[in-house]
Amino acid sequence: MTWYSKMTAAGALLILACIGMLSFSSEVHSEYDRAWVHHTYVVVETLQMVRIDITQAETGQRGFILTGQDRHLEMYAAGVKQVRQDMRELADLIADNPREQEAIQRLDALIAARLAELGEGIEVRKLGGLLAGVETVTNASSGEKRMGQIAAQIAEMRQTEDKLLSSRLDTAEASTQKIKVVIVYGNALAILILLVKGFVIHWEIGKRKLAEKNLMQSNERLERRTAELSQTNTELESFTYSVAHDLRAPLRHIAGYSNMLVQDYGPQLDAEGLRCLGKISTGAHQMGRLVDDLLSLSKIGRQKLSIQDTALDELVADAVEELALEYAGREIEWRIGELFSAQCDPALMKQVFVNLLSNAVKYSGKREHAVIEVGQATQNDERVIFVRDNGAGFDMRYVGKLFGVFQRLHKARDFEGTGVGLAIAQRIIRKHGGRIWAEGEVDHGATFFFSIGLPANQPSAPTEALIVEEVIHVA
Amino acid sequence: MSHEVEILLVEDSAEDAELTIRALRRSKIANEIRVAEDGAEALDFLFCRGAHKDRTFVHPPRLVLLDLKLPKVSGMEVLRAIRADERTRAIPVVVLTSSKEERDVIEGYKLGVNAYAQKPVDFEQFAETVRQIGMFWMLINQAPPSGAFVANTAPAK
Repeated sequence: MTWYSKMTAAGALLILACIGMLSFSSEVHSEYDRAWVHHTYVVVETLQMVRIDITQAETGQRGFILTGQDRHLEMYAAGVKQVRQDMRELADLIADNPREQEAIQRLDALIAARLAELGEGIEVRKLGGLLAGVETVTNASSGEKRMGQIAAQIAEMRQTEDKLLSSRLDTAEASTQKIKVVIVYGNALAILILLVKGFVIHWEIGKRKLAEKNLMQSNERLERRTAELSQTNTELESFTYSVAHDLRAPLRHIAGYSNMLVQDYGPQLDAEGLRCLGKISTGAHQMGRLVDDLLSLSKIGRQKLSIQDTALDELVADAVEELALEYAGREIEWRIGELFSAQCDPALMKQVFVNLLSNAVKYSGKREHAVIEVGQATQNDERVIFVRDNGAGFDMRYVGKLFGVFQRLHKARDFEGTGVGLAIAQRIIRKHGGRIWAEGEVDHGATFFFSIGLPANQPSAPTEALIVEEVIHVA
Repeated sequence: MSHEVEILLVEDSAEDAELTIRALRRSKIANEIRVAEDGAEALDFLFCRGAHKDRTFVHPPRLVLLDLKLPKVSGMEVLRAIRADERTRAIPVVVLTSSKEERDVIEGYKLGVNAYAQKPVDFEQFAETVRQIGMFWMLINQAPPSGAFVANTAPAK
């Protein structure tokens, strides 16, 4: 996921989390509001109860005055008790509101005065009899007035509570409305973000699929190309092989018949005739070697490596022995150091040593005291083998041509050879995934270095194809 | 004995045949050398049929020098036919060819070739190769007694 798409996803999640928190807090809040509304209802109800209970006390008092029965006195006492309890409850309920407290004090005073009047009437009835008692009721206009004041006070308080209720309801409504708005718009926004995000993901998937398709196509192209290259490679190899192979028969005939001519008609030919025949013979001989070398080179290209742990010292010893004929009668000082063991194809690696040593023997041919050295060294953390001679050397300007097929840096008259030996050595080293290079100076000898590499990094097809191209070009 | 064919040279190139015969003659190894220019002619000769129906299996050649690239019937097929038949199975066959292809070498040995040599380009080497082959098979090698492989075998097809 990109930075941008991470941010949008995080944004959407944040919004949803906020909405959740708001919903929760609004739920808590509205519960609080509801509690207040309920509280108001209780206050109103209690006020109502005060009125009813004071009326009951009054009714009880009048009944007692009229009948003198204790039943009415009990009703009066219950009413008084009830009113006092109501007033205590009311005081508790509105303890939070200072303005209401004033009102309740007023109400309390009114009720206390009324209760005193009622109590007085009862005392009069008990002491003075029915008539005196009735008189307290009928003559006392102040009682009526007091009850009117109580009713007004209660009504006023109710009104206050009603206002409070209304405002509390409004607050609850407004905050619910606000929360609703936040939830609706927040959800809409989150959905929008998620939709956009979904669209972006869809688009990105499309883009990725396209990229994957492109990659697959280019992979296919690459595979096709590799297959083509490998096929071309094989074709070139077999072409090289058959060309070289078919050249052998006519060459053999040229060599054979010129030989027959010398054997059968030699006495009849003069010196010039014999010299010409000699040239033909030498030419055929030389070409035969070229063809054979070319065949070896093409064979290495087609050969599979058979890798095994190989003691390079032994290969060098074998190579030196194999070259015995080449340096017969020469004075050569061999300095062969200790060499490491390597994972390589022993037969091919021996060929590398044979070719490099044969080269060293050949190019040190004009030294009275030839020195050929084989050793190991470490260069750039890589173990390398070197083969050094004190022979003719070469000009570093032409180092690039050293490993080319049929490339020679010396005249054939000075040093014979086909110019394939180093190409073969290079090909074998490259097949092993290693490198080969040379350093030299004219008349001061040459040193060839090579690394063996790992069997795992065998060179890729294009490298091989290039070499084959080189071969075919010459062939 | 002197009129029996000693070496059957199966070779389509007249030049190679001439060079081979010359090398053999100069080393005084064999006089009676027969050249078959293709595989079919070689088989006719070895199985005493066609132009060679008057021959008998009693005196097989002491050596067949076989080239591989041949018109009509290839060298490998000739070899296979020789080894498949009781009457010819014991005849020494040496492949003498331009090809040193591993495939061919392996195939040759699978079919029971006695030796496999490549024709060198250089004439001196070529002559020496032919001389050594002839020397071994004609002079050193002990051939089976005449007719040893004829008695209890099926007639030629």
